[in-house]
Amino acid sequence: MPGALRRSISLAVVLALSHRAGFSQAPPPAKLAASITRIFGAAVRVDSLRVDTSTVLRMSRADSLLGFASVGNVIGKDQPITFLVAIDRDDRLKDVDILVYREPYGGEVAYEPWRKQFRGKTAADSLRVGKEIRTISGATISVRSVTLGVKALVADLTRWHQSGAIK
Amino acid sequence: MRWAPTVLAVALLAVATSFAHAQERTTVGGYGEAQYTNATGPNTPGQADLRRFVIYLAHSFNDQLAFRSELEVEDAKVEPDSKAGEVEVEQAFLDYRLRDWLTIRTGLILVPVGFLNETHEPTTFNGVQRPAFDSDVIPTTWRELGAGLLGQIPGGAGLSYRIYLLNGIKAEGFSAEQGIREGRQEGQNASFANPSITGRLEWARPGLKVGGSFWYGGSANGEPGLGTGAFSAPVALLSADARYDRGGASLRAEFANISITDAAAINTAFGTGVGSRIAGGYAEAAYNLLALLAPSSSQKLTTFVRYEQYDTQASVPSGTVQDGTLARRITTIGLTYKPIDNAVFKGDYQFLRNRSGTGEGEILSLGIGYEF
Repeated sequence: MPGALRRSISLAVVLALSHRAGFSQAPPPAKLAASITRIFGAAVRVDSLRVDTSTVLRMSRADSLLGFASVGNVIGKDQPITFLVAIDRDDRLKDVDILVYREPYGGEVAYEPWRKQFRGKTAADSLRVGKEIRTISGATISVRSVTLGVKALVADLTRWHQSGAIK
Repeated sequence: MRWAPTVLAVALLAVATSFAHAQERTTVGGYGEAQYTNATGPNTPGQADLRRFVIYLAHSFNDQLAFRSELEVEDAKVEPDSKAGEVEVEQAFLDYRLRDWLTIRTGLILVPVGFLNETHEPTTFNGVQRPAFDSDVIPTTWRELGAGLLGQIPGGAGLSYRIYLLNGIKAEGFSAEQGIREGRQEGQNASFANPSITGRLEWARPGLKVGGSFWYGGSANGEPGLGTGAFSAPVALLSADARYDRGGASLRAEFANISITDAAAINTAFGTGVGSRIAGGYAEAAYNLLALLAPSSSQKLTTFVRYEQYDTQASVPSGTVQDGTLARRITTIGLTYKPIDNAVFKGDYQFLRNRSGTGEGEILSLGIGYEF
Protein backbone atom coordinates (compact mmCIF):
# COMPACT_ATOMS: atom_id res chain seq x y z
CA MET A 1 0.00 0.00 0.00
CA PRO A 2 2.77 2.57 0.66
CA GLY A 3 3.81 2.17 -2.97
CA ALA A 4 0.34 2.85 -4.23
CA LEU A 5 0.01 5.80 -1.88
CA ARG A 6 3.36 7.23 -2.94
CA ARG A 7 2.37 6.79 -6.57
CA SER A 8 -0.85 8.72 -6.24
CA ILE A 9 0.92 11.49 -4.35
CA SER A 10 3.61 11.71 -7.02
CA LEU A 11 1.03 11.87 -9.76
CA ALA A 12 -0.89 14.54 -7.90
CA VAL A 13 2.26 16.62 -7.64
CA VAL A 14 2.95 16.19 -11.35
CA LEU A 15 -0.62 17.13 -12.17
CA ALA A 16 -0.44 20.24 -10.03
CA LEU A 17 2.91 21.26 -11.51
CA SER A 18 1.90 20.75 -15.11
CA HIS A 19 -1.39 22.52 -14.55
CA ARG A 20 0.30 25.53 -12.96
CA ALA A 21 2.79 25.71 -15.81
CA GLY A 22 -0.17 25.87 -18.20
CA PHE A 23 0.79 22.99 -20.49
CA SER A 24 -2.73 22.70 -21.74
CA GLN A 25 -1.90 20.82 -24.94
CA ALA A 26 0.60 18.44 -23.39
CA PRO A 27 -0.45 14.89 -22.54
CA PRO A 28 -2.14 14.89 -19.14
CA PRO A 29 0.27 12.96 -16.88
CA ALA A 30 -2.55 10.86 -15.42
CA LYS A 31 -3.55 9.72 -18.89
CA LEU A 32 0.05 9.01 -19.82
CA ALA A 33 0.53 6.97 -16.64
CA ALA A 34 -2.67 5.02 -17.27
CA SER A 35 -1.59 4.32 -20.84
CA ILE A 36 1.85 3.04 -19.81
CA THR A 37 0.36 0.89 -17.07
CA ARG A 38 -2.17 -0.55 -19.52
CA ILE A 39 0.45 -1.38 -22.14
CA PHE A 40 3.40 -2.49 -19.96
CA GLY A 41 1.61 -3.57 -16.79
CA ALA A 42 1.88 -2.29 -13.24
CA ALA A 43 5.10 -1.92 -11.23
CA VAL A 44 7.11 -0.96 -14.28
CA ARG A 45 10.18 1.24 -13.98
CA VAL A 46 10.03 4.24 -16.27
CA ASP A 47 13.13 6.25 -17.16
CA SER A 48 13.08 9.36 -19.25
CA LEU A 49 15.72 9.62 -22.00
CA ARG A 50 16.53 12.50 -24.31
CA VAL A 51 17.32 11.83 -27.97
CA ASP A 52 17.88 14.85 -30.21
CA THR A 53 14.96 17.06 -29.19
CA SER A 54 12.66 14.19 -28.28
CA THR A 55 11.82 12.49 -25.03
CA VAL A 56 11.68 8.70 -24.97
CA LEU A 57 10.37 6.66 -22.06
CA ARG A 58 12.29 3.48 -21.30
CA MET A 59 10.29 0.75 -19.59
CA SER A 60 11.92 -2.02 -17.56
CA ARG A 61 11.14 -4.45 -14.81
CA ALA A 62 13.77 -6.06 -12.59
CA ASP A 63 16.59 -4.80 -14.84
CA SER A 64 14.97 -6.40 -17.86
CA LEU A 65 14.11 -4.08 -20.75
CA LEU A 66 10.42 -4.16 -21.74
CA GLY A 67 10.41 -1.52 -24.46
CA PHE A 68 10.18 2.15 -25.28
CA ALA A 69 7.44 4.69 -25.78
CA SER A 70 7.17 8.23 -27.04
CA VAL A 71 4.47 10.83 -27.49
CA GLY A 72 3.71 12.64 -30.73
CA ASN A 73 1.29 15.20 -32.11
CA VAL A 74 -0.30 15.23 -35.55
CA ILE A 75 -2.83 17.69 -36.92
CA GLY A 76 -6.28 16.23 -37.60
CA LYS A 77 -8.70 18.48 -39.47
CA ASP A 78 -7.25 21.46 -37.63
CA GLN A 79 -6.35 20.43 -34.10
CA PRO A 80 -3.38 18.48 -32.73
CA ILE A 81 -4.06 14.87 -31.81
CA THR A 82 -1.71 13.74 -29.03
CA PHE A 83 -0.84 10.05 -29.26
CA LEU A 84 1.56 7.54 -27.73
CA VAL A 85 3.47 4.80 -29.52
CA ALA A 86 5.05 1.91 -27.61
CA ILE A 87 7.46 -0.68 -29.01
CA ASP A 88 8.80 -3.81 -27.35
CA ARG A 89 12.49 -4.69 -26.98
CA ASP A 90 12.45 -6.30 -30.45
CA ASP A 91 11.13 -3.05 -32.04
CA ARG A 92 7.67 -4.46 -32.67
CA LEU A 93 4.77 -2.10 -32.13
CA LYS A 94 3.21 -2.96 -28.78
CA ASP A 95 0.34 -0.51 -28.92
CA VAL A 96 -0.87 2.95 -29.88
CA ASP A 97 -2.89 5.18 -27.57
CA ILE A 98 -4.75 8.42 -28.19
CA LEU A 99 -3.91 10.64 -25.20
CA VAL A 100 -5.78 13.80 -26.18
CA TYR A 101 -8.31 14.21 -28.98
CA ARG A 102 -9.53 17.74 -29.66
CA GLU A 103 -11.58 17.62 -32.90
CA PRO A 104 -15.40 17.83 -32.86
CA TYR A 105 -15.75 14.66 -34.97
CA GLY A 106 -13.47 11.67 -35.66
CA GLY A 107 -12.66 10.49 -32.13
CA GLU A 108 -13.13 6.88 -33.24
CA VAL A 109 -9.33 6.63 -33.71
CA ALA A 110 -9.22 6.12 -29.93
CA TYR A 111 -11.29 2.93 -30.17
CA GLU A 112 -9.38 -0.25 -29.41
CA PRO A 113 -10.58 -2.21 -32.49
CA TRP A 114 -8.98 0.45 -34.69
CA ARG A 115 -5.78 0.86 -32.65
CA LYS A 116 -5.10 -2.84 -32.41
CA GLN A 117 -4.49 -3.03 -36.16
CA PHE A 118 -1.01 -1.60 -35.42
CA ARG A 119 0.04 -4.25 -32.92
CA GLY A 120 3.00 -6.39 -33.99
CA LYS A 121 3.93 -4.10 -36.89
CA THR A 122 7.53 -2.90 -37.34
CA ALA A 123 9.16 0.12 -38.96
CA ALA A 124 9.75 -2.06 -42.04
CA ASP A 125 6.06 -2.85 -42.48
CA SER A 126 3.82 -0.97 -44.83
CA LEU A 127 1.10 1.00 -43.01
CA ARG A 128 -1.25 2.40 -45.64
CA VAL A 129 -4.76 3.62 -44.93
CA GLY A 130 -7.31 1.56 -46.81
CA LYS A 131 -4.84 -1.33 -47.17
CA GLU A 132 -3.03 -2.55 -44.04
CA ILE A 133 -4.91 -0.07 -41.84
CA ARG A 134 -8.65 0.02 -42.41
CA THR A 135 -10.35 3.37 -42.18
CA ILE A 136 -13.43 4.49 -40.26
CA SER A 137 -16.10 6.47 -42.11
CA GLY A 138 -16.52 9.94 -40.68
CA ALA A 139 -13.05 9.77 -39.12
CA THR A 140 -10.92 9.48 -42.25
CA ILE A 141 -8.88 12.65 -41.68
CA SER A 142 -7.93 11.56 -38.16
CA VAL A 143 -7.25 8.01 -39.39
CA ARG A 144 -4.83 9.29 -42.04
CA SER A 145 -3.06 11.72 -39.69
CA VAL A 146 -2.62 9.27 -36.84
CA THR A 147 -1.44 6.49 -39.18
CA LEU A 148 1.25 8.77 -40.65
CA GLY A 149 2.22 9.93 -37.16
CA VAL A 150 2.51 6.39 -35.82
CA LYS A 151 4.60 5.32 -38.81
CA ALA A 152 7.04 8.21 -38.29
CA LEU A 153 7.34 7.66 -34.53
CA VAL A 154 7.91 3.89 -34.87
CA ALA A 155 10.62 4.64 -37.43
CA ASP A 156 12.29 7.09 -35.01
CA LEU A 157 12.14 4.77 -32.01
CA THR A 158 13.48 1.85 -34.06
CA ARG A 159 16.31 3.91 -35.53
CA TRP A 160 17.31 5.25 -32.10
CA HIS A 161 17.18 1.79 -30.56
CA GLN A 162 19.14 0.10 -33.32
CA SER A 163 21.79 2.86 -33.35
CA GLY A 164 22.22 2.63 -29.59
CA ALA A 165 20.94 6.16 -28.93
CA ILE A 166 18.48 4.50 -26.56
CA LYS A 167 19.20 1.16 -24.94
CA MET B 1 10.52 -1.25 -6.76
CA ARG B 2 9.29 1.25 -4.23
CA TRP B 3 10.98 4.12 -6.01
CA ALA B 4 9.46 3.19 -9.37
CA PRO B 5 6.39 5.42 -9.08
CA THR B 6 8.58 8.43 -8.33
CA VAL B 7 10.70 7.73 -11.39
CA LEU B 8 7.51 7.36 -13.38
CA ALA B 9 6.16 10.67 -12.14
CA VAL B 10 9.38 12.53 -12.95
CA ALA B 11 9.54 10.92 -16.37
CA LEU B 12 5.94 11.87 -17.04
CA LEU B 13 6.61 15.48 -16.09
CA ALA B 14 9.55 15.52 -18.50
CA VAL B 15 7.33 14.21 -21.27
CA ALA B 16 4.50 16.57 -20.43
CA THR B 17 6.78 19.59 -20.64
CA SER B 18 8.63 18.46 -23.75
CA PHE B 19 5.42 18.00 -25.72
CA ALA B 20 3.77 21.20 -24.62
CA HIS B 21 3.02 23.77 -27.26
CA ALA B 22 1.03 26.94 -27.75
CA GLN B 23 -2.24 27.03 -25.87
CA GLU B 24 -4.38 28.89 -28.36
CA ARG B 25 -4.74 28.04 -31.99
CA THR B 26 -6.78 29.52 -34.85
CA THR B 27 -7.25 27.59 -38.06
CA VAL B 28 -8.74 28.49 -41.41
CA GLY B 29 -9.92 25.92 -43.92
CA GLY B 30 -12.58 25.50 -46.51
CA TYR B 31 -14.42 23.40 -48.99
CA GLY B 32 -16.40 24.01 -52.13
CA GLU B 33 -17.98 22.51 -55.18
CA ALA B 34 -18.72 23.65 -58.73
CA GLN B 35 -21.20 21.79 -60.92
CA TYR B 36 -22.34 21.49 -64.51
CA THR B 37 -25.73 19.84 -65.09
CA ASN B 38 -27.55 19.06 -68.30
CA ALA B 39 -31.02 17.55 -68.19
CA THR B 40 -32.51 15.74 -71.18
CA GLY B 41 -35.31 17.50 -73.05
CA PRO B 42 -35.85 20.02 -75.83
CA ASN B 43 -35.45 23.25 -73.88
CA THR B 44 -32.97 22.40 -71.16
CA PRO B 45 -29.57 23.92 -71.89
CA GLY B 46 -26.67 22.93 -69.68
CA GLN B 47 -26.13 24.99 -66.56
CA ALA B 48 -23.05 25.61 -64.46
CA ASP B 49 -23.06 26.76 -60.86
CA LEU B 50 -20.56 27.50 -58.13
CA ARG B 51 -22.79 25.55 -55.80
CA ARG B 52 -20.95 26.08 -52.55
CA PHE B 53 -17.98 28.12 -51.39
CA VAL B 54 -17.33 27.62 -47.70
CA ILE B 55 -14.80 29.15 -45.34
CA TYR B 56 -14.07 27.17 -42.23
CA LEU B 57 -12.84 29.07 -39.19
CA ALA B 58 -12.00 27.44 -35.88
CA HIS B 59 -10.34 28.54 -32.72
CA SER B 60 -9.21 26.49 -29.76
CA PHE B 61 -8.94 28.52 -26.58
CA ASN B 62 -7.42 25.57 -24.73
CA ASP B 63 -7.77 21.78 -24.67
CA GLN B 64 -11.31 22.07 -23.30
CA LEU B 65 -12.89 25.01 -25.07
CA ALA B 66 -13.12 25.39 -28.83
CA PHE B 67 -15.12 27.39 -31.35
CA ARG B 68 -15.98 26.04 -34.82
CA SER B 69 -17.73 27.69 -37.72
CA GLU B 70 -18.55 27.48 -41.41
CA LEU B 71 -19.47 30.52 -43.50
CA GLU B 72 -21.02 29.63 -46.81
CA VAL B 73 -21.82 31.39 -50.07
CA GLU B 74 -24.24 29.43 -52.24
CA ASP B 75 -24.51 29.97 -56.01
CA ALA B 76 -21.61 32.44 -56.16
CA LYS B 77 -23.41 35.69 -55.37
CA VAL B 78 -26.34 37.27 -53.60
CA GLU B 79 -28.47 39.91 -55.23
CA PRO B 80 -31.74 41.53 -54.26
CA ASP B 81 -34.73 40.22 -56.22
CA SER B 82 -32.95 36.94 -56.98
CA LYS B 83 -34.12 33.69 -55.44
CA ALA B 84 -30.77 32.03 -56.03
CA GLY B 85 -27.76 32.80 -53.91
CA GLU B 86 -27.41 32.82 -50.16
CA VAL B 87 -24.82 33.79 -47.61
CA GLU B 88 -25.27 31.74 -44.50
CA VAL B 89 -23.54 30.65 -41.34
CA GLU B 90 -23.80 26.90 -41.58
CA GLN B 91 -22.37 26.08 -38.17
CA ALA B 92 -21.12 28.20 -35.28
CA PHE B 93 -20.78 26.54 -31.92
CA LEU B 94 -18.72 26.29 -28.77
CA ASP B 95 -17.55 22.91 -27.56
CA TYR B 96 -16.67 22.54 -23.91
CA ARG B 97 -14.90 19.22 -23.58
CA LEU B 98 -15.02 17.86 -20.04
CA ARG B 99 -14.28 14.17 -20.58
CA ASP B 100 -14.00 11.81 -23.55
CA TRP B 101 -17.59 10.86 -22.77
CA LEU B 102 -18.87 14.37 -22.17
CA THR B 103 -18.65 17.48 -24.33
CA ILE B 104 -21.15 20.32 -24.00
CA ARG B 105 -22.00 21.85 -27.39
CA THR B 106 -23.87 25.16 -27.74
CA GLY B 107 -24.73 27.34 -30.71
CA LEU B 108 -25.79 26.77 -34.30
CA ILE B 109 -25.43 22.99 -34.56
CA LEU B 110 -25.79 20.45 -37.37
CA VAL B 111 -28.75 18.19 -36.65
CA PRO B 112 -27.29 14.68 -36.12
CA VAL B 113 -29.69 12.88 -38.47
CA GLY B 114 -28.22 10.48 -41.04
CA PHE B 115 -24.50 10.73 -41.80
CA LEU B 116 -24.44 13.18 -44.67
CA ASN B 117 -25.85 16.12 -42.74
CA GLU B 118 -22.84 16.26 -40.43
CA THR B 119 -20.23 15.09 -42.94
CA HIS B 120 -21.16 16.89 -46.15
CA GLU B 121 -17.89 17.92 -47.78
CA PRO B 122 -17.85 17.03 -51.51
CA THR B 123 -14.81 14.80 -51.04
CA THR B 124 -16.81 12.52 -48.74
CA PHE B 125 -19.58 11.39 -51.11
CA ASN B 126 -19.89 10.03 -54.65
CA GLY B 127 -21.91 11.89 -57.26
CA VAL B 128 -21.89 15.55 -58.23
CA GLN B 129 -25.02 16.33 -56.23
CA ARG B 130 -25.72 15.02 -52.77
CA PRO B 131 -28.26 12.18 -52.89
CA ALA B 132 -31.71 13.67 -53.56
CA PHE B 133 -32.88 11.81 -50.44
CA ASP B 134 -30.52 14.08 -48.47
CA SER B 135 -32.44 17.09 -49.75
CA ASP B 136 -36.10 16.02 -49.95
CA VAL B 137 -36.30 13.67 -46.95
CA ILE B 138 -33.41 14.61 -44.66
CA PRO B 139 -33.15 18.35 -45.38
CA THR B 140 -29.36 18.78 -45.48
CA THR B 141 -27.60 20.93 -44.53
CA TRP B 142 -29.91 21.05 -41.52
CA ARG B 143 -28.72 23.21 -38.63
CA GLU B 144 -30.59 24.80 -35.76
CA LEU B 145 -29.82 26.67 -32.54
CA GLY B 146 -29.56 25.02 -29.16
CA ALA B 147 -27.38 23.00 -26.84
CA GLY B 148 -26.56 19.42 -26.06
CA LEU B 149 -24.15 16.74 -24.99
CA LEU B 150 -21.95 14.35 -26.93
CA GLY B 151 -19.13 11.92 -26.37
CA GLN B 152 -17.91 8.36 -26.47
CA ILE B 153 -19.73 5.86 -24.35
CA PRO B 154 -17.19 4.54 -21.81
CA GLY B 155 -16.18 0.92 -22.01
CA GLY B 156 -14.53 0.98 -25.42
CA ALA B 157 -17.38 -0.72 -27.23
CA GLY B 158 -17.04 1.77 -30.07
CA LEU B 159 -20.28 3.57 -29.28
CA SER B 160 -20.71 7.31 -29.34
CA TYR B 161 -23.72 9.53 -28.75
CA ARG B 162 -25.01 13.03 -29.31
CA ILE B 163 -28.19 14.50 -27.83
CA TYR B 164 -29.33 18.07 -28.38
CA LEU B 165 -32.21 20.37 -27.49
CA LEU B 166 -32.76 22.65 -30.49
CA ASN B 167 -35.39 25.04 -31.79
CA GLY B 168 -38.23 23.33 -33.65
CA ILE B 169 -39.37 23.74 -37.23
CA LYS B 170 -42.31 25.61 -38.77
CA ALA B 171 -45.16 23.72 -40.47
CA GLU B 172 -45.77 26.84 -42.53
CA GLY B 173 -42.78 25.93 -44.70
CA PHE B 174 -43.67 22.26 -45.29
CA SER B 175 -44.48 21.14 -48.82
CA ALA B 176 -45.68 18.08 -50.70
CA GLU B 177 -42.50 17.94 -52.81
CA GLN B 178 -39.81 18.59 -50.20
CA GLY B 179 -41.46 17.59 -46.95
CA ILE B 180 -40.13 19.44 -43.93
CA ARG B 181 -37.23 21.11 -45.80
CA GLU B 182 -38.45 24.71 -45.84
CA GLY B 183 -39.68 24.40 -42.27
CA ARG B 184 -36.10 24.72 -41.06
CA GLN B 185 -35.21 27.94 -39.27
CA GLU B 186 -31.44 27.86 -39.83
CA GLY B 187 -30.44 30.12 -37.00
CA GLN B 188 -32.28 33.29 -38.06
CA ASN B 189 -34.49 34.71 -35.28
CA ALA B 190 -35.50 31.11 -34.66
CA SER B 191 -38.76 30.66 -32.81
CA PHE B 192 -38.59 28.52 -29.71
CA ALA B 193 -42.40 28.26 -29.58
CA ASN B 194 -41.79 24.59 -30.32
CA PRO B 195 -38.54 22.98 -29.20
CA SER B 196 -37.09 19.78 -30.59
CA ILE B 197 -35.06 16.93 -29.18
CA THR B 198 -32.66 15.10 -31.45
CA GLY B 199 -29.99 12.51 -30.96
CA ARG B 200 -27.78 9.94 -32.57
CA LEU B 201 -26.02 6.74 -31.58
CA GLU B 202 -23.08 5.47 -33.65
CA TRP B 203 -21.16 2.23 -33.54
CA ALA B 204 -17.76 2.12 -35.20
CA ARG B 205 -15.40 -0.67 -36.19
CA PRO B 206 -12.49 -0.51 -38.65
CA GLY B 207 -14.22 -0.29 -42.02
CA LEU B 208 -17.73 -0.13 -40.57
CA LYS B 209 -19.93 2.52 -39.08
CA VAL B 210 -23.58 2.10 -38.21
CA GLY B 211 -25.79 4.92 -36.97
CA GLY B 212 -29.31 5.54 -35.78
CA SER B 213 -30.90 8.95 -35.24
CA PHE B 214 -34.13 10.53 -34.08
CA TRP B 215 -35.65 13.98 -34.19
CA TYR B 216 -38.87 14.93 -32.40
CA GLY B 217 -40.37 18.37 -32.19
CA GLY B 218 -43.39 20.56 -32.60
CA SER B 219 -44.06 22.62 -35.71
CA ALA B 220 -47.23 24.62 -34.91
CA ASN B 221 -45.42 27.87 -34.14
CA GLY B 222 -48.57 29.47 -32.74
CA GLU B 223 -50.67 28.88 -35.85
CA PRO B 224 -54.38 28.88 -34.84
CA GLY B 225 -55.77 25.44 -35.46
CA LEU B 226 -52.47 23.63 -34.86
CA GLY B 227 -52.42 24.01 -31.09
CA THR B 228 -50.31 26.01 -28.69
CA GLY B 229 -48.43 23.29 -26.85
CA ALA B 230 -44.66 22.90 -27.00
CA PHE B 231 -45.04 19.79 -29.11
CA SER B 232 -48.14 20.76 -31.08
CA ALA B 233 -48.20 19.56 -34.70
CA PRO B 234 -45.49 17.03 -33.83
CA VAL B 235 -42.98 15.73 -36.33
CA ALA B 236 -41.13 12.49 -35.56
CA LEU B 237 -38.16 11.40 -37.61
CA LEU B 238 -36.30 8.11 -37.29
CA SER B 239 -33.31 7.19 -39.42
CA ALA B 240 -30.74 4.44 -39.80
CA ASP B 241 -27.55 4.36 -41.80
CA ALA B 242 -24.46 2.27 -42.44
CA ARG B 243 -21.12 2.67 -44.20
CA TYR B 244 -18.77 -0.20 -44.96
CA ASP B 245 -15.37 -0.23 -46.65
CA ARG B 246 -13.19 -3.19 -47.52
CA GLY B 247 -10.29 -3.10 -49.94
CA GLY B 248 -11.45 -1.09 -52.93
CA ALA B 249 -15.13 -1.69 -52.24
CA SER B 250 -17.51 0.46 -50.27
CA LEU B 251 -21.19 0.30 -49.47
CA ARG B 252 -23.40 2.90 -47.85
CA ALA B 253 -27.08 3.33 -47.14
CA GLU B 254 -29.40 5.76 -45.39
CA PHE B 255 -33.08 5.31 -44.56
CA ALA B 256 -35.58 7.57 -42.84
CA ASN B 257 -39.22 7.72 -41.83
CA ILE B 258 -40.94 10.99 -40.91
CA SER B 259 -44.40 11.07 -39.34
CA ILE B 260 -46.44 14.26 -39.43
CA THR B 261 -49.47 13.39 -37.32
CA ASP B 262 -51.37 16.61 -37.94
CA ALA B 263 -50.77 16.79 -41.70
CA ALA B 264 -54.51 17.27 -42.30
CA ALA B 265 -54.64 20.36 -40.08
CA ILE B 266 -51.38 21.68 -41.58
CA ASN B 267 -52.78 21.33 -45.11
CA THR B 268 -55.99 23.07 -44.05
CA ALA B 269 -54.07 25.91 -42.42
CA PHE B 270 -51.61 26.56 -45.24
CA GLY B 271 -53.29 25.11 -48.33
CA THR B 272 -50.46 22.62 -48.84
CA GLY B 273 -50.41 18.90 -49.65
CA VAL B 274 -48.01 17.71 -46.99
CA GLY B 275 -47.81 13.95 -46.54
CA SER B 276 -48.59 12.45 -43.15
CA ARG B 277 -45.69 10.11 -43.69
CA ILE B 278 -42.45 10.71 -45.63
CA ALA B 279 -40.29 7.66 -46.14
CA GLY B 280 -37.49 6.19 -48.16
CA GLY B 281 -33.79 5.77 -48.51
CA TYR B 282 -30.94 4.77 -50.75
CA ALA B 283 -28.19 2.23 -51.11
CA GLU B 284 -24.92 2.76 -52.92
CA ALA B 285 -22.14 0.41 -53.98
CA ALA B 286 -18.77 1.71 -55.15
CA TYR B 287 -15.47 0.23 -56.22
CA ASN B 288 -12.08 1.90 -56.58
CA LEU B 289 -10.87 0.61 -59.96
CA LEU B 290 -7.27 1.52 -59.11
CA ALA B 291 -7.32 -1.01 -56.27
CA LEU B 292 -7.41 -3.55 -59.11
CA LEU B 293 -5.55 -1.76 -61.92
CA ALA B 294 -2.80 0.01 -59.96
CA PRO B 295 -2.69 -1.37 -56.41
CA SER B 296 0.35 0.70 -55.43
CA SER B 297 -1.33 3.99 -56.37
CA SER B 298 -2.71 6.28 -53.70
CA GLN B 299 -5.06 7.86 -56.24
CA LYS B 300 -8.67 6.70 -56.49
CA LEU B 301 -10.89 6.21 -59.50
CA THR B 302 -14.17 5.02 -58.10
CA THR B 303 -17.15 3.82 -60.07
CA PHE B 304 -20.45 3.74 -58.27
CA VAL B 305 -24.13 3.04 -58.59
CA ARG B 306 -26.75 4.45 -56.25
CA TYR B 307 -30.44 3.63 -56.10
CA GLU B 308 -32.77 5.98 -54.24
CA GLN B 309 -36.42 5.40 -53.56
CA TYR B 310 -38.49 7.78 -51.49
CA ASP B 311 -41.91 9.33 -51.33
CA THR B 312 -42.69 12.64 -49.64
CA GLN B 313 -46.33 11.54 -49.67
CA ALA B 314 -45.88 7.92 -48.58
CA SER B 315 -49.17 8.48 -46.74
CA VAL B 316 -51.52 11.40 -47.05
CA PRO B 317 -54.26 12.58 -44.67
CA SER B 318 -57.86 12.36 -45.83
CA GLY B 319 -58.67 15.33 -48.03
CA THR B 320 -55.20 15.40 -49.62
CA VAL B 321 -54.75 13.89 -53.07
CA GLN B 322 -51.68 11.71 -53.45
CA ASP B 323 -49.35 12.84 -56.25
CA GLY B 324 -47.66 9.84 -57.91
CA THR B 325 -44.76 11.92 -59.21
CA LEU B 326 -43.58 12.37 -55.60
CA ALA B 327 -42.92 8.62 -55.26
CA ARG B 328 -39.45 8.96 -56.74
CA ARG B 329 -36.91 6.40 -57.91
CA ILE B 330 -33.50 7.76 -58.86
CA THR B 331 -30.65 5.66 -60.23
CA THR B 332 -27.25 7.32 -60.42
CA ILE B 333 -24.17 5.83 -62.06
CA GLY B 334 -20.89 7.67 -62.10
CA LEU B 335 -17.18 8.05 -61.63
CA THR B 336 -15.25 9.80 -58.87
CA TYR B 337 -11.59 10.62 -59.47
CA LYS B 338 -9.44 11.62 -56.50
CA PRO B 339 -5.80 12.39 -57.35
CA ILE B 340 -5.42 13.14 -53.63
CA ASP B 341 -7.85 12.62 -50.78
CA ASN B 342 -8.89 16.27 -50.59
CA ALA B 343 -9.60 17.07 -54.25
CA VAL B 344 -12.19 15.40 -56.42
CA PHE B 345 -13.42 15.35 -60.02
CA LYS B 346 -16.86 13.83 -60.52
CA GLY B 347 -19.17 12.81 -63.31
CA ASP B 348 -22.50 11.00 -63.20
CA TYR B 349 -25.65 10.21 -65.07
CA GLN B 350 -29.04 10.08 -63.34
CA PHE B 351 -32.28 8.39 -64.32
CA LEU B 352 -35.25 10.10 -62.65
CA ARG B 353 -38.38 7.96 -62.44
CA ASN B 354 -41.60 8.12 -60.48
CA ARG B 355 -44.72 6.09 -59.88
CA SER B 356 -46.99 8.04 -62.20
CA GLY B 357 -44.44 8.02 -65.04
CA THR B 358 -44.83 11.69 -65.87
CA GLY B 359 -42.12 14.33 -65.83
CA GLU B 360 -39.38 11.71 -65.87
CA GLY B 361 -35.97 12.59 -67.22
CA GLU B 362 -32.25 12.08 -67.20
CA ILE B 363 -29.47 14.37 -66.02
CA LEU B 364 -25.78 14.46 -66.89
CA SER B 365 -23.64 16.14 -64.21
CA LEU B 366 -19.97 17.06 -63.98
CA GLY B 367 -18.34 18.61 -60.95
CA ILE B 368 -15.27 19.41 -58.93
CA GLY B 369 -14.83 19.60 -55.19
CA TYR B 370 -12.12 20.31 -52.64
CA GLU B 371 -11.56 20.42 -48.92
CA PHE B 372 -8.61 21.64 -46.86
